[in-house]
Amino acid sequence: MSLTLPARNASGSSRAHSLLPATMTDQAITGAIADPLLRRGAGRGWWIAFAFALLGAFAMVATMALVFMRGIGVLGNNKNVVWGVPIANYVWWIGIGNAGTLISALLLLTRQDWRASINRFAETMTLFAVAIAGLFPILHLGRPQYFYWLFPYPNSMTLWPQWRSALVWDFWAILSYLLFSIVFWYAGMLPDLATFRDRAESRRAQLVYGALALGWRGSASQWRAHRMFYTTMAALAVPLVCSVHSIVGLDFAASLMPGWQETIFPPYFVVGAMFSGFAMVVILAAALRQGFRYEALLTPRHFEAMAIIILASSLIMTLSYATEWFNGWYSGKSAERGEVAFSFTGTYALLFYAQLLCNCLLPQILWWPTLRRRLIPLVLVSFGVLVGMWLERILIIWNTLSRGYLASARQTFHMTGADWSLLLSPLGLFAFLFLISVRVLPSISMHEVKELRHEEAQS
Amino acid sequence: MKQEETIDKGVSRRAALKLLGAQIGLAAAGCSKPSEEIVPYVRMPERLVPGMPLRFATTLPLSGFGRGVMCTSVEGRPIKIEGNPLHPASLGATDVFAEAAVLSLYDPDRSQVVRHAGEISTWEAFAAELSAVIGNSATRGVDGLRLLTGPITSPTLLRQIGSLRNRYPKFVWHVHDPLENGAARDGAVLAFERPLLSVPQFRASDIIVSFDADPLGPGVSQIANARGLSARRRVRKSSPTSARLYVIEASPSLTGANADHRLALPPDRIAALVVGLGRQLGADLPDPHLAEAEATLLEAIHRDLAPHAGRGIVLVGPTQPAEIHAIAHWINGQIRAPVDLFEPPGNGVPPGTLSDLVRDLEAGKAESVVIIDCNPAHEAPPALGFASALRRSKFRVHVGSYADETAAICDWHIPQSHALESWSDLRAFDGTASLVQPLIAPLYATHSSHELLAILDQRGEKSDYEIVRDSWRGNAGSQDFEAWWRRALHDGVIAGSAPAKVTPSPKVPSITTLPASTRPSLVLRPDPSIFDGAFANNAWLQELPKPLTKEVWGNTVALSTADAERLGVAEGEVLRLTVDGQFIEVPARIDSRQASGVFSTTLGYGRKAAGRIGDGLGVNAYALRSAPRARRGEANWAMAPLTVSKTGERRFVPSTQHQFTLDGEPQEVFRSYTLPEFLGLRSPSDEPRLESFFPVSEGGEPRWGMVIDTSLCIGCNACVVACQVENNSPVVGPEEIALGRGMHWLRVDSYELGRDSGDRIGFQPVPCMHCEAAPCEPVCPVEASVHDSEGLNVQVYNRCIGTRFCQANCPYKVRRFNYFGYADGQEYAGLGGEVMRLHNNPDVTVRARGVMEKCTFCVQRISRARRNAEKVHRGIADGEVVTACQASCPTSAISFGDLSEPQAAVSALRKEPHHYELLGHLNTKPRTTYLAQIRNPGETTKAKP
Repeated sequence: MSLTLPARNASGSSRAHSLLPATMTDQAITGAIADPLLRRGAGRGWWIAFAFALLGAFAMVATMALVFMRGIGVLGNNKNVVWGVPIANYVWWIGIGNAGTLISALLLLTRQDWRASINRFAETMTLFAVAIAGLFPILHLGRPQYFYWLFPYPNSMTLWPQWRSALVWDFWAILSYLLFSIVFWYAGMLPDLATFRDRAESRRAQLVYGALALGWRGSASQWRAHRMFYTTMAALAVPLVCSVHSIVGLDFAASLMPGWQETIFPPYFVVGAMFSGFAMVVILAAALRQGFRYEALLTPRHFEAMAIIILASSLIMTLSYATEWFNGWYSGKSAERGEVAFSFTGTYALLFYAQLLCNCLLPQILWWPTLRRRLIPLVLVSFGVLVGMWLERILIIWNTLSRGYLASARQTFHMTGADWSLLLSPLGLFAFLFLISVRVLPSISMHEVKELRHEEAQS
Repeated sequence: MKQEETIDKGVSRRAALKLLGAQIGLAAAGCSKPSEEIVPYVRMPERLVPGMPLRFATTLPLSGFGRGVMCTSVEGRPIKIEGNPLHPASLGATDVFAEAAVLSLYDPDRSQVVRHAGEISTWEAFAAELSAVIGNSATRGVDGLRLLTGPITSPTLLRQIGSLRNRYPKFVWHVHDPLENGAARDGAVLAFERPLLSVPQFRASDIIVSFDADPLGPGVSQIANARGLSARRRVRKSSPTSARLYVIEASPSLTGANADHRLALPPDRIAALVVGLGRQLGADLPDPHLAEAEATLLEAIHRDLAPHAGRGIVLVGPTQPAEIHAIAHWINGQIRAPVDLFEPPGNGVPPGTLSDLVRDLEAGKAESVVIIDCNPAHEAPPALGFASALRRSKFRVHVGSYADETAAICDWHIPQSHALESWSDLRAFDGTASLVQPLIAPLYATHSSHELLAILDQRGEKSDYEIVRDSWRGNAGSQDFEAWWRRALHDGVIAGSAPAKVTPSPKVPSITTLPASTRPSLVLRPDPSIFDGAFANNAWLQELPKPLTKEVWGNTVALSTADAERLGVAEGEVLRLTVDGQFIEVPARIDSRQASGVFSTTLGYGRKAAGRIGDGLGVNAYALRSAPRARRGEANWAMAPLTVSKTGERRFVPSTQHQFTLDGEPQEVFRSYTLPEFLGLRSPSDEPRLESFFPVSEGGEPRWGMVIDTSLCIGCNACVVACQVENNSPVVGPEEIALGRGMHWLRVDSYELGRDSGDRIGFQPVPCMHCEAAPCEPVCPVEASVHDSEGLNVQVYNRCIGTRFCQANCPYKVRRFNYFGYADGQEYAGLGGEVMRLHNNPDVTVRARGVMEKCTFCVQRISRARRNAEKVHRGIADGEVVTACQASCPTSAISFGDLSEPQAAVSALRKEPHHYELLGHLNTKPRTTYLAQIRNPGETTKAKP
C-alpha cells in the first residue's frame, strides 16, 4: 500500500480532466462501494477505530452529565471570560459542518464534477458536525433545561424571544441548517439506498434498506423529480451555507467589544468554515480511501482540487487577519489597538503564533504541486488547519474577553479537566457516528459517480 | 397459621398484588413533601409587623472600643448593620467589620456548648466547679486568681473587674491586645507624663502629615477619621479647596494611598524625618542627616505647616519608638494642632500585661486563669512561651465565641454570646459611651462575659441586662432612670459620657542618638480584611479583596521592586522570613510602592482553630513578633534584624484584580486632576454630546442615578461588604476566586497613578452603570436583561437561562454569574448550614445556579421608599432612597437620587466640572457617573503639561 498518490495522468490514457479510470464499469463502481458494507465484515482496523471512538463518545456523554449535574462551573469560564471552550467548539464544529453542504450544493451548481466521489461522506460529516455543534450552545447555558425559551412558543407567561439578540438568529440558523442538511443528505441518498436494497443478501438488510429507499424504482419520472428537487435544494443550500456561519460571526460582531465589533466577521467566518471544513473532508477522504480501498474512486485529482481550495482559503484568511489588524490600527481607538497588540504580545501570544503558523504559513506548501498531490503532506496540512482554526475560535473569545476596556477587569482563562474533555471527546463522538455511518450507508454516491463515468465516457 | 403457611410456601398471587399495591402507596406517600406545621403568632409582639423591618441602635466592639450602629431586624432576625449618625465612631457610616458582624452572628462554626476537657458539659457544672475552686482559693487567700482579657473599655466590665479586685485583694487583671500600640502610650507618657489618648480632628485640619500612621486604615477610628478628612476634601465648583495630606510610610497603607505627597522610607528614616521636623520647629534634637529627597519633602512640610498654625496635624504610627511619638506630641503642641487629648478609659489600676501573667504562671503564682474574649495562644509571641506557661496553672477557663487555639489549652470553654445577642456597653475611641443591646435571643446556650464575671464575683447569677443597668443607675441624675435608659437605648449613645479633654503642655524628650538603621526590617500591619485575626472565620471578610492588593483568602509579604531584583525573587515565590530565630514562610508580592529594605505582611492569618472558613489560610505573622523587650515602649510593629531567604517553592494567593496601571486612554477610565487643573476645567455641559442612530428611551420618572466622587473614596471597602450583605451575595471560596470568579456586585478598582500624581492610588467603586443604552440588553436572547420604567437596568433572574452574552458585551464587566449554586445548594465550606439562611435579606431573591446577576441600585430600597410615599400620596423626596453602598460610605463619596429632579444632590453633582462618565465614548449613557479625583499637591510638584 502506497501512501503516495499516483501522479495525475499516470495511466496516460485518460484525458486531463478525467477523474475515474475509464475501465470502471457501473457494476464495478457499485461493487466497490457496496460490497465492503454488504458482503464483507468490518475489518480489524475498523473495530480498533470503533473502540477508540466509543471511548471518546462515552467521555463526551460523561462530560455532558458532569456539566449538567454539577453546573457549568466545572469549566474554566470566569467572571470576565464568560465564554470558553463550548462556544469555541460550537463555532469550530459549525465550520466543519459547512463544508459538506458547500461541496454538495455549491460545487453541484458550479458543475465541479469531481465532487461526485466526496459529496456523500462530506454531507454525512456535515450532519454529524452540525448535530454536535448544536449541543454546545445548550451545554454552555447556565440553565440548559430552559434552552427552549429561545423558541417562540405560545406560553402562559406571554414571553417571546428577544429578536435583537444574535443568539436567537443563531438558534434559527443552526436549526434550519440542520433540518436542511438532513433532507438534502437523505434525498441525495435515495437511489443508493435502493441499490443497497437490491443488492443486500440478508432479509433484514433488504427490509431496512427497502424501507429507507421509500419505494425508489429508478424510473425516469422518479429520476426527473429527484434531479429537479435536488438541484432546487442545492440552490437553496448556498445562501443557507453562507448564512449559518455569517450568523455565527454576528454572535461576536453584533457586540461592542474590541476585537469583536468588526464588519468583516460574517464573510471571514464563512471562509474560515470552508477552510476547516475542507481540511476535515481531506482527512476523512484519506481515511476512507485507505480503509475501504477506494483508490479508484478517490483519486489524486480529488485531493488536488481540495488542496487548492484550502490554499485559496488560507490566503483569504491571511488577508482577513491582516485586515483586522489594519482596521484595529486605523480605527485609532486605543481599545482596538490594544486588542491587536495583546494578540501579539499578551497572555495567549504563543497560541496566536501557532494559529498564524497553522492557518497562514503551513498551507503555503500546497503551492508545490508535488506536495499537494501527496497524501501525507496534505493530511498534515489539514490537521494543522483544524488545530489552527480551533485556536482562532478560542482566541477570538479569550483575547477580547480577557482584555476588554477596563484595565481592572483583565483576566486570564485557565482550562480545567472538563474543558479538555469537552474539547477532545466530541471528536470521539463524531468518529463513533461516522464509523457507524460508513458501515451501514453508502459513503460515496454511487449514482453520481456512475453518472460522472458516463459523462466522461461520452465526451 | 394460615398466613404463615402462605409465607412458607412463597407469596401467593393475591398477596403479591397486595404487597405491590402497598409498596406503590408507600412510595407515593414517601415522595410527598414532609409536613411542616407553621404556627402564627397567638399574641403578636408589639411593633412587629410581618415584612416590616425594625431598626435598633446598638454598639459593636472592635479592639475593645465601640462603634455605634443601627441594626435592621426582620421578624426577629438581625440582617443588616448600618451606621448610627449620633455615634462619634460611626457618624452614620460603617466599616467592613461592622458590616460583616451579621455573618459572625450566624456563623455555624461558632462555639455552641460549654466544654470541659473537650467533652460537652453544662453551665451549671461549670458554675459549681468554679465556686468550688474559688471557695478553696478563698480559704487560701485567693492569690491565684487571674483574669486575662482583650482590651476593655466597657464601663460595666471595668466596674465588675474593680469589684473583683475589692473582693479578692490579690486578684490581678491582665490585658492582652494583639494590636497594642505600646510605643504610642509610652510616647504619651514621655510627652505628658501620663498615657493620654489623642484624637486628631481632621475636620479642622488643612495640612495632615502622617509618619507611618494609618488613620484611614482599618481601626477603631477609621470611620471618624475618614469622615473628618472628607469634609476637608470635598472639592466642588463652589468650594475649590482640599486638605493636603503628606504621608511618609514604610509599606503601602490606605492613608498613603490617599496622600497628595507620599514618600516610602524604612522606619528608621521616618524617625529621622520626625526628628528633622522637630529641629526645624526649634527642638533641641540631634541632626538626622537627611538625604536630598527627604530634606526636600521636609522643607515642603515645614513650609506648609508654618502658615497653618492651628490647622495642621502631625501623626506618628506604631512602627515608631516612643521618643518619636513624644516628639510628634511636642510638634503638635507647637503648631497648635487640632488634637483632642483625654485620659484612657480604665478603673483606676492599670491592668497587668501578658508578660506579667506568663512570669507569674512560671513562678506558680497564678493558679486559676480566666481568659475572656482573647486568643493569646495564637497571637502571643512564641518566645513568650504563653501556652506552656498556661499549662502550669491548675484551673483554666476560656470564654469566647469560638473554641479557638486558646480554648484548646484550657480545661473549660464557655461559649460567649455575640454582641448582637447580649447586653453590654462600650466606649468609642473618643471615650463616648453607648449601650450594647441584643437584637436576638442567644442562638445557642451562650453567655456574656458579664454573667461570667458575676459568678466569679460570687454575687449570684444575674442577667447581663441587670448587670449593665446597675452600672448606669447613677447616671440618670434627677431624671427617671427608665426614661434615661430608653433614651440611651434609642439614641445608641449616652449623652455627655465623653471624658473631659485635657490640655497639658508636651515636653520634648531628650534623645541623643537616632534609631539605628536596621535594614532589612519587617513591618507588620493589621489585616485590612480580617484585622487581628478575630474575623478569620468570617467568609465575607476573607473574600473581601484587600484595598491595595485585591488579594483574598490569605496573606503575602510585600517587598520593593529593588529588593526583589537584589534577591532575585519572583512574584509568588515563598520567602522564609526569620527574626530572632523564629521564621515564617510567606509567598512574596512585589510592590513598587514598598520602601526599599522593608518587608511587610499582615497579622491575623495562619489560624489553626478558627473554624471551617479560617483554618489553614495564610501565614501567622504573630510568630515573628518579638517578646516584649525589657524596656517598655519599644515598637513591636517593626522588627529587625530580618533575614530573608528563598525556599524555592511558589504559592499564589488569589486576587481579584491583576492589572493596577491604566493604559490606553486613562481619561476614559479614571480622571485625576490637580486643584489648579480643576479650576481650569470646562463645565460638562460644554462637552459635545455623542449622537446615536437609535432612539434611546430615558425611561419615566424618577430617573435614578448615582454619582461617585473618586476624590473622596479612600478604598475602605465598607460599600463592598454592605452590598454583599444587603443583596444576599454569596461567598464562592478561594478556589473559585483563583479561577477568576466571584460574586461581589460592587467592586472597588484601584489604579496606581504613578509618581507624577504623587504616587496616589485611584479608587473607583464600580457598581452597575445602569446604562440608558445598555449593551447587555439587546444581546439577551430571552429578554432577561431589560429596562424598567424608572430607567433601571434590571435582571430577571427567573427568565435568565445563562447565555452570559450580557456580561460578554458589558464594557464595565459588572455582571456576576452563578457558575455553581453558590447560594443554592453548592455553598462553600459550612456556609450552606441551616442557620446561615437567617442572614438573608427577605426583600432580595437568593439566586439559583446558572443565572446572571448584578447591582440593582438596591431596587428593594427604592420600592420600599415608593410604597411609603404612595401610601400618603406624595413623591419620593431627595435622599429618601439610600442604597446600601451609599449608607455605608464613611466619606459620603456615593450620592444617589432622581436625575429628573433639578434640585436633587445628584443633579447638582452632574453639573460639576470634574463630572465624567466611565468609558463615555461608548455612548452607553450610564446612570452611574463619577467625579474625577482632585489632588492638592500645592506648588511643590511640577505642573503637568
